[in-house]
Amino acid sequence: MNAFMTFVDKATGVQGFLIVGAILFSLGIIGILSRKNAIGILLGVELILNAAGLNFVTFSRYRTAAIDGQVANLFVILIAAAEAAVALAIILRFYRLKQTIDADEANLLRN
Amino acid sequence: MTNGMKLVLFGAEVLTVLCALIATFHPNVLYGAIALLITFLGVAVMYVFAGADFLAGAQVIVYVGGVTILILFAIMLTQWLYQMKLRDVGTKLLAPILIGAGLFYVLAKALLDINPKFLSDNAEPAQKFLMTPKTALLGEALLGSYLLPFEAITILLLGALVGAVWIARPR
Repeated sequence: MNAFMTFVDKATGVQGFLIVGAILFSLGIIGILSRKNAIGILLGVELILNAAGLNFVTFSRYRTAAIDGQVANLFVILIAAAEAAVALAIILRFYRLKQTIDADEANLLRN
Repeated sequence: MTNGMKLVLFGAEVLTVLCALIATFHPNVLYGAIALLITFLGVAVMYVFAGADFLAGAQVIVYVGGVTILILFAIMLTQWLYQMKLRDVGTKLLAPILIGAGLFYVLAKALLDINPKFLSDNAEPAQKFLMTPKTALLGEALLGSYLLPFEAITILLLGALVGAVWIARPR
């Protein structure tokens, strides 16, 4: 029990936050590389953007105790929303064109 | 922080990581999107504990209420729900996992090596910062020293949304 609480203590400190951010980032990279479904790739991108935002907030709180990191995270959230809207519009358009959202099928610009 | 608060935060972290694992590896994208929703909620809880109250709200509104719903809409508009086409079997899983694990190893090694004196949690300004409401501070920052990026991002958002509507228009 005591060892567990020591672990919880460490995991809820700054390094716990940063490690969670690193895990989210790595999982996002894995998702982007392994998925063939365009929406699956978008899930990976959202994970990566969240990891970036988490790191901004963590360093803003533990390193400088200033508001700058949170402002940066606000911009990250806005850009993520805009990116999701555009990406999903492209996916819908692509589906109408090809009846699939397999990213490997997106070869219209080839040749 | 009391022990109870630490356990809540730890639970949120575990939930975040587990749901991110599901979102990455579940063969069905629909379940992946729902797991991603819970990941966003876990990150919002972590924001609260990092002293970012306004951002936690923004995270819930924009990601949970906006982006995830948008993704679910796109899944349901593009694929017949009960069709096997929804499945996205990772045929090439080994190389991505190796790359991701290597990346995580490098990051974790660097992050666990930080000099502890840079990470003091109990310093007086840090504790005071944690308890200050951030909405007024963020508003002053956005219309003060960050005015130019703020205006630029409004143009970006307008352009992106108009472009999205134009791309997805019916013919």
